[in-house]
Amino acid sequence: MKEDATLHDAKLHAAAQRLGSGAAEKLDVERLATTVVERLRKPVARPMWMQPAWLRIAAAVVFLVGGGLVWRQFGSPSAPHAAHFVTDDLTDLSADQLRDVLNTLDETLNLGSTTLPDGDLEDLDAQQLQAVLRSLEG
Amino acid sequence: MAQPQSIAAAPSPAPDADLIAAWRGGDEQAATELVRRHARALARFLSGAGAPDADLEDLVQEALIRAFRAVDRFRGQCQFRTWLLTIGGNLLKDHGRRAARHKVVALEEGLAARDGDPHERAEAGETETRLAEGVGKLPRLQREVFLLRAQQGLEYEEIAAALDTTAGAARVHYHHAVRRLKELIQ
Repeated sequence: MKEDATLHDAKLHAAAQRLGSGAAEKLDVERLATTVVERLRKPVARPMWMQPAWLRIAAAVVFLVGGGLVWRQFGSPSAPHAAHFVTDDLTDLSADQLRDVLNTLDETLNLGSTTLPDGDLEDLDAQQLQAVLRSLEG
Repeated sequence: MAQPQSIAAAPSPAPDADLIAAWRGGDEQAATELVRRHARALARFLSGAGAPDADLEDLVQEALIRAFRAVDRFRGQCQFRTWLLTIGGNLLKDHGRRAARHKVVALEEGLAARDGDPHERAEAGETETRLAEGVGKLPRLQREVFLLRAQQGLEYEEIAAALDTTAGAARVHYHHAVRRLKELIQ
């Protein structure tokens, strides 16, 4: 039994060593060597998309698209405005009108921890009242 | 600039490593000598692995070109021939994918045993036919390990270095391959 297996292994190896030898024998090695060396002399032919000009164009497209996305994300009109105080729009109001605004705010918001100066609003001029309003806006 | 001196012209055969170094230095004769040394082994390997006869020369040529162009990546982890065979194996895999077919090599007259009586020759031819079919049915790694071991006579350590695996794993792949091939041949 072992002898059969050994014989089988030997046959398998012998067959494996002959495998492909017929096709390999047909190869004209000298002609092949000449062709290989001639091809090696030529510069490597890159696919069109790998040419430097196309790579530059692709890089430019990526830059523009990426830049556009960044602009849309951070620089578009929908982005939050810089700080704007409502008080800046109230410069035309007189001192009395400003006091009314502050009193209204005091009643409406019931400002809790942020309290308006008690009874002192009467003593403040328009500029000081605007400063109070601005302080309330944070 | 002086032409690099041709090592291939030396009286005693230069080792592959010297020829590779000479090719890196621009010596075309060194490349020619490397082709002479290894082209047939590469062709046998590719043919045994299922390369169609019609495409064999193109595949051998392409594998050689790729090897010479990528020679800077060859670090001597295995023999140059083994490295070349693995490049050929990868190329054949891509070729098979593109062609969407896997043709088993047709056996030529020269493939059969040339000695012995007619009955033995016929039997050997039959064994090879079945072997070629069986090799074509093996998973790729088993097929390459089997051919590198049985056809090219490489040690497991060498095969492992070429296929980026361990010698133990290469041994296991080989034994699986042999077991399946025996089943197919019997």
